[in-house]
Amino acid sequence: MAASGGSLARYIVTRLLLIIPMVFILTTIVFLLLRVAPGDPVSASLGGRLSEEALDQRRAALGLDRPMLVQYLEYLREVVTFQFGETITDNRSVIDIVKDNGGATLTLSVAAFAVALVIGLPLGLIAGRFRDTVPDLVIRIFGIITYAAPVFYWGLLFQLLFVLQLDWFPVGGSASPETIFLVEDKTHILLIDAIIAGNSEAVVDVLHHLVLPAVTLGLLLSGIFIRLVRVNMLQTLQGDYIEAARARGIKESRVMRSHAFRNALVPVITIIGLQIALLMSGAILTEATFNWPGIGNELVQYINLRDYAAVQGIITMFAVVVVLVSILIDIVNALVDPRVRY
Amino acid sequence: MNRRRGLLALVSSGVMVASLAACGGGDDGDGGPSGEDNGSSELGAPWILGTTDKVTTLDPAGAYDLGSWTLMYNMYQTLLTIPAGDNEPQGDAAESCEYEDPKTFTCTLKEGLTFANGNELTSSDVAFSLTRNIEIADPNGASGLLSSITAEEGGAVTDGAIETPDDQTITFHLNRPDTIFQFILTTNATAIVDEETFPADALVENAEAVGSGPFSMDQYEDGQQAVLTANPEYDGPKEPQSERVFVQYFQQPAQLKQAVQTGDIDVAWRSLSPTDINDLKDSDSVSVLEGEGSEIRYWVWQLGTQVGKQKAVRQAAAELIDREAIAENAYAGTVDPLKSIVPPGFPGQIAAFEEKYGANNADEAKKLLDDAGINTPVDITLGYTPSHYGPNAVDEANEFARQLEDGGVFNVKIESAEWTQYQNLYKENAYDLFQLGWFPDYLDADNYLAPFFVDGGFYQNNYSNEKVNELVAAEQASSDPAERQRIFKELQTIVAEDVPLIPSWVGKNVAIAGPGMEGVQATLDPAFIFRFWEVSKAE
Repeated sequence: MAASGGSLARYIVTRLLLIIPMVFILTTIVFLLLRVAPGDPVSASLGGRLSEEALDQRRAALGLDRPMLVQYLEYLREVVTFQFGETITDNRSVIDIVKDNGGATLTLSVAAFAVALVIGLPLGLIAGRFRDTVPDLVIRIFGIITYAAPVFYWGLLFQLLFVLQLDWFPVGGSASPETIFLVEDKTHILLIDAIIAGNSEAVVDVLHHLVLPAVTLGLLLSGIFIRLVRVNMLQTLQGDYIEAARARGIKESRVMRSHAFRNALVPVITIIGLQIALLMSGAILTEATFNWPGIGNELVQYINLRDYAAVQGIITMFAVVVVLVSILIDIVNALVDPRVRY
Repeated sequence: MNRRRGLLALVSSGVMVASLAACGGGDDGDGGPSGEDNGSSELGAPWILGTTDKVTTLDPAGAYDLGSWTLMYNMYQTLLTIPAGDNEPQGDAAESCEYEDPKTFTCTLKEGLTFANGNELTSSDVAFSLTRNIEIADPNGASGLLSSITAEEGGAVTDGAIETPDDQTITFHLNRPDTIFQFILTTNATAIVDEETFPADALVENAEAVGSGPFSMDQYEDGQQAVLTANPEYDGPKEPQSERVFVQYFQQPAQLKQAVQTGDIDVAWRSLSPTDINDLKDSDSVSVLEGEGSEIRYWVWQLGTQVGKQKAVRQAAAELIDREAIAENAYAGTVDPLKSIVPPGFPGQIAAFEEKYGANNADEAKKLLDDAGINTPVDITLGYTPSHYGPNAVDEANEFARQLEDGGVFNVKIESAEWTQYQNLYKENAYDLFQLGWFPDYLDADNYLAPFFVDGGFYQNNYSNEKVNELVAAEQASSDPAERQRIFKELQTIVAEDVPLIPSWVGKNVAIAGPGMEGVQATLDPAFIFRFWEVSKAE
């Protein structure tokens, strides 16, 4: 049942307010997990070179010798003010990391989403349409494999085949060094910068570098899309209006195209949006596999260095993005789906 | 880009986006972000170096890692430098340097030095550079190397320690007799920065970092790439062969290997695994180049344990170790046996362990233990860390344990822990014998002795020998090379007798070069300075 405008507003406000405890719990867990893990940034980078006294001096200079509660309160203050300070190991502003590397992650995510849609939607529809036939079986197996296999596994396989054997694509990175050097950074998104610069060679180069990482990450998502679309297609085909359309003598191809396919895709749209968390976690592994200069790649490096400030900041950013997108999807869902109550 | 790739790229990218680009702004892409071509046209073609090293900062006051220092060695000048293939400091920004006595060191700058931004380089800049490094005392920096001119309470230069009587002269009055200081002046802890550009009390932004070296930084993208262009203001012996050098950063050695194999980069330097290096030796498309290295691995006895404190046990183990077999079986011959804690090539080095123990002497090991009244087999706990020192650390630990057990006098239990935990465990006597590695700060035998053996060393293994402490202080105070070499030999002999550690291997300086690369071999020496100015790429 649809609700009045007032209650929808209350629903949206409630969902937005829920961001606060969600982010608070998540950031607290991140803070505690980093402290529970053995070691610290100083011993990770300089241990085995300096005396314990010298290491302690460096810990003190970084404030790592203060009580955990003091460090935690300071961390919370940074989260609340959206100032995440500087990384411990290389003095970079965490905000700058997100700014500088976020464009690459966004590019990869959007491209992977596109790949997933191109692969997942038609295959899901075909599998649903031809239920329990050979194509359905093949597509279902394909969907299970792409979803179940780790994303880095596909990445490594693709590198072996398409980079080393066939020499079709570069090993990794977002573009060749010359392109990165020549294209002026205006938006922090290399592809858009290359387009703005009118440098078609650079655009081709960037897209060339994007293909393998996008397909790798896209395959992971496509496995989910295939299964979702197939199930929805099966449910749609059992609908009375499909039977009615057939009874009216409408051609089967038109029944499928105009009645079944479109209706099967409606619930999928909201579910697809909820895959943002999977997309983010997949992006981290994909970026590391392809040396893609995104936030995920940076996160892996800072985890290895036990850089508390960097890891906390980046994960909080990830969390905020996931939570915001999830809530946005909830709101859209509430608006378009009359079954949602609020 | 080869033909197949180009074709596929065109197909995969599609015509539409390219058309969009063609309709975009008018920058044709030539000449860098600013549209200017900073490279000197008469120089050779640009080339690309790939590495897994990470850069902390481009400010000499904020870094103490090889990734940062590699860029700095090419961007900045120091008073002294280590030329390729040498290990004696020579003038860089300095025309001459000399000890007036072991506590007074004076340098005279070359005439007409300028930074890449055109500012004049004077002795005042040198004093400023060292002073700010000490005063900033960045936790990631190397100000600790400047202890000879640092006040006792830290964070400030000792009163009167740096004197600049004129624009060309700088005199250092050291806190103690220290002939190592000349080697410190070759490191980036003393890289000369422009006092008109760099703040005195904070690190400079990477984009503003400017030096007076053979290259200047044109672009630096964190974790992605650095672009260095030949510095037209530089007029010295480090004459660049190429107009521009790209440094591309990789996170995984496997990516680095693939990139050099496919020609995406021209040179791969630091760090490929022994397996990868041997694999590439069979490749026709690249050349594996090796030079002498200075990175070492060694096994430290923890004298705080019941087992480690017995000298006969330590000596018996030394009798059994076969370094050639470790290098071959654990590292496929990509490293060399280390026969003293000081690697070969350093003045004063002797193969002290080989001379005293040889290898595989099971009978001698048994006799040593019997003479000391120690029951055999002796139980030993061997510690190593599985990832910090590369994937072959486990192979080395297994080989080391096998050799000890094959002698019939030891029972070995192997334990491992991740790096951050490992450092606590070995100091807490969790292992009798544990593996560590070392990469020198400066090229002098002192750097392989003083940090290791004075009062338990940095690794706190409870070894202490008054004679060793005295000898280290003496060599650091002596400006007589012959006297220092004599002391180094004596120290190595004492260490071989006391066995507070067992040297294992010394690494090579390895680079993988693609077709047309010249000059790479020349820079592969124990200094681990990748001298971009030595390298060129055939057109």
